[in-house]
Amino acid sequence: MIPVILGVVVIVFTISYFTPGDPAAAILGPNAEKASYEALRAKLGLDRPFLVQLGTYIWNIVSRFDLGKAYITGTPISEELIYRLPTTIKLGVLSIFVTVALGTPLGILSATKQYSIADYSVTTIALIVNAIPSFVLALFALMLFSVKLRWLPIAGVATWDAWILPIACNSLGYVALSARMTRTSMLEVIRQDYIRTARAKGLKQNVVIRRHALPNALIPIVTVVGTQLSFVLAGAIIVETIFSIPGMGMYILSGISGRDYPVINGTVLVLSVCVCVMNLLVDIAYAFIDPRIKALYMSPRKAKAHKSPKTAEVA
Amino acid sequence: MQPITLKKKKEYIESLETSSRRHSQWRDILGRLWRNKLGMVGFFIVAVILLLIILADLVAPIPYDKQNFAERFLYPNSVHLLGTDNFGRDMWSRLLFGGRISLFVAIISVCISLFVGAILGSTAGYFGGKLDTIITRILDIVMAIPGLLLAIAISAMLGSGPVNTALAISISGMPGAARLIRSTVMAIKGNEFVEAARATGSRHGRVIFKHVLPNAIAPLIVYSTMSIGGSILAISGLSFIGLGVQPPIPEWGSILMAGRPFVRDFWPMIVFPGIFIGLTLLGFNLFGDALRDALDPKLKN
Amino acid sequence: MSLLEIKDLTIHYVTKDSIVKAVNGINISLEKGETIGLVGETGAGKTTTALGILGLIQSPPGQVVGGEILFSGTDLLKASDHEMRKIRGDEISMIFQDPMTALNPIMRVGDQIAEVVYLHGNCSRAEAVKRSIQMLEMVGIRAERSREYPHQFSGGMKQRVVIAMALACDPKLLIADEPTTALDVTIQAQVLDMMNKLKKKLGTSMILITHDLGIVAESCDKVAIMYAGRIVEYGSLEDIFHNVSHPYTIGLFGSMPSLDKDVDRLSPIPGLMPDPSALPSGCKFHPRCTSAWEECSKVEPELYEISPGHCARCLLFRKEGAVNE
Repeated sequence: MIPVILGVVVIVFTISYFTPGDPAAAILGPNAEKASYEALRAKLGLDRPFLVQLGTYIWNIVSRFDLGKAYITGTPISEELIYRLPTTIKLGVLSIFVTVALGTPLGILSATKQYSIADYSVTTIALIVNAIPSFVLALFALMLFSVKLRWLPIAGVATWDAWILPIACNSLGYVALSARMTRTSMLEVIRQDYIRTARAKGLKQNVVIRRHALPNALIPIVTVVGTQLSFVLAGAIIVETIFSIPGMGMYILSGISGRDYPVINGTVLVLSVCVCVMNLLVDIAYAFIDPRIKALYMSPRKAKAHKSPKTAEVA
Repeated sequence: MQPITLKKKKEYIESLETSSRRHSQWRDILGRLWRNKLGMVGFFIVAVILLLIILADLVAPIPYDKQNFAERFLYPNSVHLLGTDNFGRDMWSRLLFGGRISLFVAIISVCISLFVGAILGSTAGYFGGKLDTIITRILDIVMAIPGLLLAIAISAMLGSGPVNTALAISISGMPGAARLIRSTVMAIKGNEFVEAARATGSRHGRVIFKHVLPNAIAPLIVYSTMSIGGSILAISGLSFIGLGVQPPIPEWGSILMAGRPFVRDFWPMIVFPGIFIGLTLLGFNLFGDALRDALDPKLKN
Repeated sequence: MSLLEIKDLTIHYVTKDSIVKAVNGINISLEKGETIGLVGETGAGKTTTALGILGLIQSPPGQVVGGEILFSGTDLLKASDHEMRKIRGDEISMIFQDPMTALNPIMRVGDQIAEVVYLHGNCSRAEAVKRSIQMLEMVGIRAERSREYPHQFSGGMKQRVVIAMALACDPKLLIADEPTTALDVTIQAQVLDMMNKLKKKLGTSMILITHDLGIVAESCDKVAIMYAGRIVEYGSLEDIFHNVSHPYTIGLFGSMPSLDKDVDRLSPIPGLMPDPSALPSGCKFHPRCTSAWEECSKVEPELYEISPGHCARCLLFRKEGAVNE
């Protein structure tokens, strides 16, 4: 994971290096004297070669977690981000949670009652909702629930019900995907021989599904959740801007409108790192669910015990 | 004599067919496509929208940038099919011509992604070894940045405007295309007819273009369809937050953004662009799904 | 009263294109402690019969069209789902063909056995675990291995686990569907040996489904040869091996490679098993039969008795009239 993060830092920095515009001019405004521009430029190290600047940037991040200062406000970016990160993460994690909580049962329903009305209607509705982009959905929802019906607050996160719309908008689109994936995975698992064995033991159908089918079906589902992570976090950004939630979304928006490149790039960097960490957590989760994968990660001594021993117990 | 049943006859013929793949395959594929109702719905939606966009000059006679302060904020009526916006411009025209921009940018970005992705992916897949490892590592790193965020960063760097947006989106989509092509190439590379071509002395490049890539077309078609949809989404999203394509160029996302202040009082400026974006995406998604199912029914269930 | 009596069992698979007549009028009876071998090629309907006994036929498209399955007097076909679930695993158990996929890959082996004990046993979880370890030792697996996962066992050992699981609740009847087909020959011998010992020790009756006559010779008391969903020959082990009668059975024996004779080619039965959705008229075997004559394509033979307890479904053994060779 570390090399990937390093690579991301390099890419983000390269993007900001090639961004047109003069940081000194952006900070001081257009009316300062020529000498002060040059002084500032020297101070910021903008006249040094690319690799030196890259090195300084990385060093700053690693040693002091310093992402630079915003052009416009002059406040250190890392401070702002740390302040806003929890909100965005909360939105993202809750969205994923809702996606799984809704998508999995719907998928199981579709799979066990294949070709029924329930199956078709779930699939169709899910497809339609999936197609509507989250920000469009968010705007519609805002219009309907907050403005016209006045059921839910319009902006901010002061009360708990302010979270409902943002989470809903960010998650519903993926509920479709999750339900679909669960359905496919369950259908695949239900065909397996060990399900037949479980039934032959006399277990009830829903016990068979719950104890034998579902845990095995989880593996592909966890994969899907993993891939959705990056989309959900990115989606969270946009949803935040619509509901005026004080998270990283609003911050990056302010950066965009002010052409404040350090802000934009810093936010992108931090979010990418978050996604990487979350993906790592997903990988770890795999090991917990599937003992075969756990065996891959174990120490060599334990791993040997896990392999089929060709001992005297032949057959 | 054992009577050969009808079913066995069918199986035999099918086995013959798979060995002479291309011609009869297209008919099977089109047949499956036709029978997929949802997919046909998607196709229909996409076709209608495309037609409207292409024939925008005919269907939307009122110029999209003609401002008229006396006729601001009109609801749909007989003259202005979808009403007017905050500057009195006709929404129907703006949305149709805006569709042109979206489509234009989307197609260009998908083409660039595919082109660059094809070069990178097929090189990596075909030659393997260290070259493959290096390219894959780089792709992995780029993919570690969420697509939209990367597009935002690059868009911010390049500035707004159709071409810049196309570039930004194509860069963020390119690793996906490269990966897809790489795995397809690797799968085909193992096939025998590639060995045969090499054995008769064809150069690497020739082998790639004449033999490997044509068989990779099927997943590429699916990918392109889904990508155009995704690109339109990205374009709207970028325009919505202030990058991408900005006013006065009409673009669905930026019209949506312009309508935000009026969310309380004038819903057409939000609802209509939203419907256009949603329907277009739905059409591409449904059709793309149907294409995927038709091209490889084994993946379906 | 016999332990198991199957009368006229008929099972069809109904799809919108065709009706697959998998099982057509099977009659089997089994006493306590007896083992019957159900022999036939792939597609003869053996597995369907077995699944039918346990009520595990997938209901669309499979349907039990007729017949009775009397188990200790109760007709299983008329039993409710609840009653069937009580019987499965407890009084009737089944072992399937492929041990590699028969066990849940993410559940510990001991837990899988304990599950069936706990379900039927009316005992505590601790007692279920004890019993599961007991069963594992009975099949020759060390107790510590009960905490391991299926992928840590070889094919033969997995099948032993499956057998342990099937016998854990002391069932009266064990249905073994080609239990050794997926194993290699040396392991086959060991597993069969073990099954025979356990069967004798616990007094379990067994339906052994196989296509291998060698296995039948080792383990079975009675044999039923199936073809196209029907029983074409039925009798004791002696009858079938020493007085083989039906042309199909003769063909089966003839196609086995012999250790004493030196031949250039094997002699299989010509032709293929008929498509169950388009069965030939008259005797279902007649298209492949070397002894067939014209009447065979028109009249479907009944099971004619050859000697007490031994019968064959062939016009050759029809009581009235002469037999043409």
